[in-house]
Amino acid sequence: MDSDSSAFARGEWHPAGSSRSVVAGLSEVGERVVACDETGAELAGGNFSAIRISARVGRIPRRVTFPDGSLFETNDNDAIDRFLARNGRAGAGTVHWLERFHPRLVAFVAATILLGALVYRYALPALVEVAVAVTPPILPRIMSVSTLETLDKTLLGESKLDEARRARILDGFQRIAALSAAGEGGYTLNFREGGPLGPNAFALPDGTLILTDELVELAGSDTEMIVGVLAHEIGHVEHKHSLRQIYRAAGVAALIMLVAGDIGSGAEDILVEGGGLLALSYSRSAEAEADRHSVELMMKAGLDPAAIARFFELLETKLEDRSETSIFSTHPGTPERRKAILDLIAEHAGESIK
Amino acid sequence: MALVEPLPAQNVGQVSFGCSAEGGFQRLSFTGTGSEYFGIWIVNILLTIVTLGIYSAWAKVRRNRYFYGNSVLLGRGFEYHATGKQILVGRLIVFAYLVLYNVMLTFVPYVGIGLGVLILFFLPWLLARGLRFSARVTSYRNVRFDFVGRAGGAFLAFIVGPVIAVLTLGILAPLASRWSYRYIGNNLRYGQKAFSTDPSVGAIYKSWAISAAVVVLGLLIIGFIAFLNIALITTAFENPDLAEAVGMQVSLTLLIVIGYVLVFAIFGVAALIYRAGVRNVAWSAATLDGKHRLLSDLSRLRYTSIAVSNLLLTLVTLGLMRPWAAVRMVRYVNEHTGVRFEGNVGEIFSAIAQEGSAVGAEFMDIEGFDFGF
Repeated sequence: MDSDSSAFARGEWHPAGSSRSVVAGLSEVGERVVACDETGAELAGGNFSAIRISARVGRIPRRVTFPDGSLFETNDNDAIDRFLARNGRAGAGTVHWLERFHPRLVAFVAATILLGALVYRYALPALVEVAVAVTPPILPRIMSVSTLETLDKTLLGESKLDEARRARILDGFQRIAALSAAGEGGYTLNFREGGPLGPNAFALPDGTLILTDELVELAGSDTEMIVGVLAHEIGHVEHKHSLRQIYRAAGVAALIMLVAGDIGSGAEDILVEGGGLLALSYSRSAEAEADRHSVELMMKAGLDPAAIARFFELLETKLEDRSETSIFSTHPGTPERRKAILDLIAEHAGESIK
Repeated sequence: MALVEPLPAQNVGQVSFGCSAEGGFQRLSFTGTGSEYFGIWIVNILLTIVTLGIYSAWAKVRRNRYFYGNSVLLGRGFEYHATGKQILVGRLIVFAYLVLYNVMLTFVPYVGIGLGVLILFFLPWLLARGLRFSARVTSYRNVRFDFVGRAGGAFLAFIVGPVIAVLTLGILAPLASRWSYRYIGNNLRYGQKAFSTDPSVGAIYKSWAISAAVVVLGLLIIGFIAFLNIALITTAFENPDLAEAVGMQVSLTLLIVIGYVLVFAIFGVAALIYRAGVRNVAWSAATLDGKHRLLSDLSRLRYTSIAVSNLLLTLVTLGLMRPWAAVRMVRYVNEHTGVRFEGNVGEIFSAIAQEGSAVGAEFMDIEGFDFGF
């Protein structure tokens, strides 16, 4: 028997699950693939369809697993590829062919960067929009109810404002709420003592608004200013900013995790932190959007659209908040926001004159 | 490199395994190259993006097969046997759970917290399963590794240990390291042969002391810088015009960034030094089958400098040199890892036939755990 000389690949053969190895050759005998030792005696064999051949990765040895569990191992990758091609599996090495160190990899690098940028720029926002669109309204409602509950238990206290003051603010609030897309019924205003949150107003995604006593006191007699701030918060609700932000953060984290196995743990940490900074820049654009919303709502209601600008002025003088926008802040710099609002009002005034 | 002993040629046949007449340590080597891995790496990322993440499972298989296959001991490489399908299924299950958990946490916090507690409850079991999966898909000379650790040991090693280490500000970290190395080292099997290790706490503390010194010294330096700047800030408040003139806003932001980077660097370097030291202690205390000794002789300084320079290289080249960095690290670690076989190991048989589920392993992957062999 001359099967040894007909071997198309040389290597070593292991019995099933054993470390013992035998120098062997792999050859084709009719329909069968057999591993034979140096004397030509058959060690194992099987039909082509019954044997498993591992894919080619770099220069690591290929494994040929026989139906009896025994294994033939060879470094002769090219011979195995030729054998596969002869048996109609020429496409098996495509990925390895792509991976070879070759000038075309430059194109792959460019394509990877381009695709990555496209995914971040277009696919991610699109997915966020889809997720926002399919989120049933019950979810923001449940989320808001439990958030308010938690806040009431931990940070917020009961409001100590007198009735007349509340009524004035509620009246102004209802006027602008009625003009918003969701209508007056879409929003509820809650008065609370801010505690550690200080002068603050914020919106929960279902249209629940919270206004702190401290902010009301800061505003003094200027109720219109408070209404302007509330119009800003209505803008957050209308544009579904909090939902968008949650989905965005989840999306960025998922993107990083997807390729994380290949970037190293130190680099991964840095990327995640960078993602956090980018999320902050997103929240800045959301603030600007809400500011614009405030101006528009106030104009529609026939109130002074510059009220919210007065609020920023107050922040600047009373709280000495002159922070400039930096990549570390969630909100744009206060003076900058005030200027943007006044510009917007001037623009609207210009339009109405025409 | 003088440290690397010459390896027997490939295909030396039946007698090569374990026969080391010289009685010296047989070191691992790494036969892969950065350029070869670069191709695998970039195609992995590209196909992962193109297939919307599905290929990432196969990417992991190709990456691991490349690194295992090129890790050579006595002329023979290790092998990684997991299939893309196994890993994909594991990932999908973990991903679905994470999505459910996050959605619930956001919208129905009580249910979310419940799911979190549930996973915490199952975590030791998942960790043990993950280690078992990783071991069972690894083979050397056609014999698979196995891991027989139970959930109880995983709970002590990976949950109680780290919690104690954090609560004691790292003072009891060596104890935690000992638990985790004992858990892995005493439950790992190669075929029907058992590994065992019992690193001494004293030796780990010696290594720990260096890291602790780095942290203390580093924090002192940061404290000193902060102290200098307190003086600067106070001056600025007293003379606002002066502050405006020297651009205080910018320098303050810069200081915060520098402080953050410094803290990150100090703890990172201390962790790297510690990791190399503990690995040396634990591996060098380990044996296979009660007689074949393992060895790890990483230089703490060299290991740390390679890790740090790799990170910088990766960042400066926007990730493009990452494959070379990864290969450089594996090569160094392999060349400082060895086994000394006492006499002929003889024929070893695999005790296992199936790999089980990949869910546990994928959970570790996604949660950032990483145990290699």
